[in-house]
Amino acid sequence: MPETPEEPLPGGDTPVAPPGPEAAADGYQVRLDVFEGPLDLLLFLIRKKKIDIHDIPIAAITRDYLGYLERKTEINLDREAEFLFIAALLIFIKSQMLLPRETDLAEQEDPRQVLVNRLLEYEKIKAACSLLREKEEDQILQWKRTFLPPLPGESELDFAEVSLFDLAESFFIMMKRRAAEDTRIIKGRDVSYEEKMKELLGLLRDGQVLDFNAYFETQESLEEALVSFFCLLELIKSRQAVAVQDELFQTIRVWLRKDARRTGHHE
Amino acid sequence: MSSDLKHVIEALIFISQEPLTLERMKAVLEGATCEEIQAAVDELLEDYRSAGRGIQVVHTGGGYILSTRSDHDRWIRKLLQIERKNKLSSAALETLSGIAYHQPVTQSEISAIRGVDSTYTLKTLLEKKLIKIVGRKKAPGNPLVYRTSERFLQYFGLNSLDELPSEQEIGRILEEEKSSEG
Repeated sequence: MPETPEEPLPGGDTPVAPPGPEAAADGYQVRLDVFEGPLDLLLFLIRKKKIDIHDIPIAAITRDYLGYLERKTEINLDREAEFLFIAALLIFIKSQMLLPRETDLAEQEDPRQVLVNRLLEYEKIKAACSLLREKEEDQILQWKRTFLPPLPGESELDFAEVSLFDLAESFFIMMKRRAAEDTRIIKGRDVSYEEKMKELLGLLRDGQVLDFNAYFETQESLEEALVSFFCLLELIKSRQAVAVQDELFQTIRVWLRKDARRTGHHE
Repeated sequence: MSSDLKHVIEALIFISQEPLTLERMKAVLEGATCEEIQAAVDELLEDYRSAGRGIQVVHTGGGYILSTRSDHDRWIRKLLQIERKNKLSSAALETLSGIAYHQPVTQSEISAIRGVDSTYTLKTLLEKKLIKIVGRKKAPGNPLVYRTSERFLQYFGLNSLDELPSEQEIGRILEEEKSSEG
């Protein structure tokens, strides 16, 4: 996708914003693509005609709006739908205004109000965009040393901790290895979560580092393996233990956090 | 001690990749009070300002970080062989601006504000770490809720969301746009 050079919206100029990635990706070629979306187009038409945003002549603006939509050559439903939605909204508003009313119009809310509120909000965001763009351009000139690795967190060592997904990934791999197990033969015994937790904590005492994959392999039954995995998750969740994996498929090393170890001694 | 403290802080800022907050400095500099740290930081800022250096300490993203001066941009780009730094696309900027003023928001809320499906743009903003997921909304479908991140502040040189363009500034832009068209 070729980069379009981008300029901040000059104050007062028409919004000639280049297309966003969504637009460029699917080759939306018509003039419409200079607009970020239907609201952008509507705002452009309103400004071009110098219309008061609080008193939009719906019929005239709808005609202009549809005129723009008709300029396109092929239909792209994804993006078109958004433009057509606003077209439908315009026609709906017009129909609401044409309908005879029982009560006085002044007493009722103007059917245009919903659209006006949206446009006003959108207009503000657009204006904020041009201010933010100026800030971005200032900041971009000031280079920072972003090439260095980030500092480690407040308390822990400079290892990359494994995420839940890494853990799950490893778990599924380990489970696969055990899948060949003959489930018709009942092995082992019932294991409770509490027992397993005690066993695991015992192994981790005094700053011991546990190779979790090896530990997992030693589990007698599938059930026991599952429970031990839950215990590991629980320890990580309660921030008592750290799990570190250097690379995917390698073993997960587990140890207790320093502060957790201290409280562990008092138990 | 005070000049010592200033030098330690300078070293800490030098080694930090993300803006270093006063809280973080306090945690490292055991014994120093907030006032002492703040005074040392202010002094450091002044030193850099007055000495005419190629680098500066800037207050951004809620902390302090070293950066080069704007006028040296072209030399740095030449050294790093970078033609031009990428700016945000206008779709990304518009989405970001919408999130900044309406946060916390969901994907469908931000799409409604823009009148454009913003799923893809949200994804790229998340990848750039300019926004973050802060949870799920208690609404049908439990949609994800987004907020701007600390990196967002740093990216635009802001220290908090209070420093976003104000209603008055936005109003002034709109006035200018209208009057130049008239």
